[in-house]
Amino acid sequence: MSGLFQVPWSDYRSDLFDALGRTVSYTVVSFVGAVLLGLAVALLRLNRAWPARIIAAVYTEVFKNVPLLAIIFLTYFGLASAGIRLDVFTAGCLSLIVFYAAYLSEIFRSAISGVHAGQTEAGEALGLGRVGIFAHVVLPQAVRQALPGTNTMLVDLLKSTSLLVTVSAAELMSEGRLITSATFRALEVYLVISAVYFALCYPLSQLLLLLERKVRAGVPLSPWRRRRVRAARALLAADLDAGANRKEAAV
Amino acid sequence: MTEPVTTAKTVPSARTEAVVRIEGLSKSFDGRTVLDNVNLEVDRGRIVSVIGQSGGGKTTLMRCVNLLERPDGGTVEVAGEVVHSGGRTLCRDLPRLRRTVGMVFQKFHLFPHLTAVENIVLAQRKAGVAEQEALERAVALLRRVGVAHRGLAQPEQLSGGEQQRVAIARALALRPEVLLFDEPTSSLDPEATREVLSVMRELAADGMTMLLVTHELPFAREVSDHVVFVDGGRIVEEGRPQDVLDHPAQIRTREFLAAYGSTS
Repeated sequence: MSGLFQVPWSDYRSDLFDALGRTVSYTVVSFVGAVLLGLAVALLRLNRAWPARIIAAVYTEVFKNVPLLAIIFLTYFGLASAGIRLDVFTAGCLSLIVFYAAYLSEIFRSAISGVHAGQTEAGEALGLGRVGIFAHVVLPQAVRQALPGTNTMLVDLLKSTSLLVTVSAAELMSEGRLITSATFRALEVYLVISAVYFALCYPLSQLLLLLERKVRAGVPLSPWRRRRVRAARALLAADLDAGANRKEAAV
Repeated sequence: MTEPVTTAKTVPSARTEAVVRIEGLSKSFDGRTVLDNVNLEVDRGRIVSVIGQSGGGKTTLMRCVNLLERPDGGTVEVAGEVVHSGGRTLCRDLPRLRRTVGMVFQKFHLFPHLTAVENIVLAQRKAGVAEQEALERAVALLRRVGVAHRGLAQPEQLSGGEQQRVAIARALALRPEVLLFDEPTSSLDPEATREVLSVMRELAADGMTMLLVTHELPFAREVSDHVVFVDGGRIVEEGRPQDVLDHPAQIRTREFLAAYGSTS
């Protein structure tokens, strides 16, 4: 055991923190991008016009059936050889976005089409426009449906940023490789790097589970919903008091 | 595109006495005729019940009023405005039409991600009602239907009867000129049915204009001014409830009522 930890970790602390920050940046930017693109593809896939549906379906199938590593090589090396030179951060994020958008679009599509048709009808009957129905009736219910799958994808994406080691993206895994080549302590270094990934992913997935539970229980999370529910609670309490007084007066 | 024959609620007098006027309505799905030359009027403050077998076209007829279903032919007039005629939608502002016409569904269709109170506030806000006023109206309506103590519950925490009463409050919140009820008690147990019918009875007493599709014949007899028996997409018989329900002139009506009597 005494032989295991011999790397001078304090020398690498600031480099490791930089790398950690970069892993987080890749994750955040790629996830936001993948959610937006995935939603767009899902909406295309649910579009009435069949060309839109075909384009979306082809996109989804292509990127679901090509390895992420191949996509990374294509965007970084492939495009460069065709004259489109992307910096490593752009190429990395782009790869992760197009890959995860394919999976997310499937999750979003089934969540959106899983919202009962009666919900749309109720929205129509209440005079909500198309946009209002989507934003206030369909989307919130779809989010509830899509949350578990989406959360899995987020954690998966975070772990997949490690593949960017192949294009020297200077994130955690690249840093690990660097330290290994300087110290020749592969077991120790990759154990530590793995532990850092675990320390990121485990709390994240637990947090997301908590979020899922709250959303499923209908807890108002947005500030404006909270404000509305609080105002309603005050009004309802006043109303019930008034009701009790009316009853007492009647007795 | 032709202009509507009459514009909005500007025409007063006897013509606008009918909040809903349907003439020569026809509708088919995939070549199967569901409605065939149907005429129907609901005057202000009146309650019209549509009865008949399932699949006979009752619900489709009702859904044509707020154009959830677009008729193939005939005319639909709501609050003095011709909204649909000859297979074409003349109403340019469907959301406005639908705020004029409240609707209560058989399966409630409350928004499951919102509390009862928020269910009632949502459409009001979209219609331009201020937040505080919308909330106050929602609470007043919840009290009116007897569910104020459950105002912050999610729909799934409510009993069927409570859900339907919240749905009625939601439909009332936009102050519609007419309320459509599509078999509002068909998904409910007898206790919940009683709760919902008692709310509807109060609405009737307050002078609400209502078009009601129902299997609750005793209730239809009690509250309706006019009963319409629909079968095979046509109006077979209509008139005062005591006439249609107690002394039907048509054989088909008698058969329906006899079958109904034997099953209940």
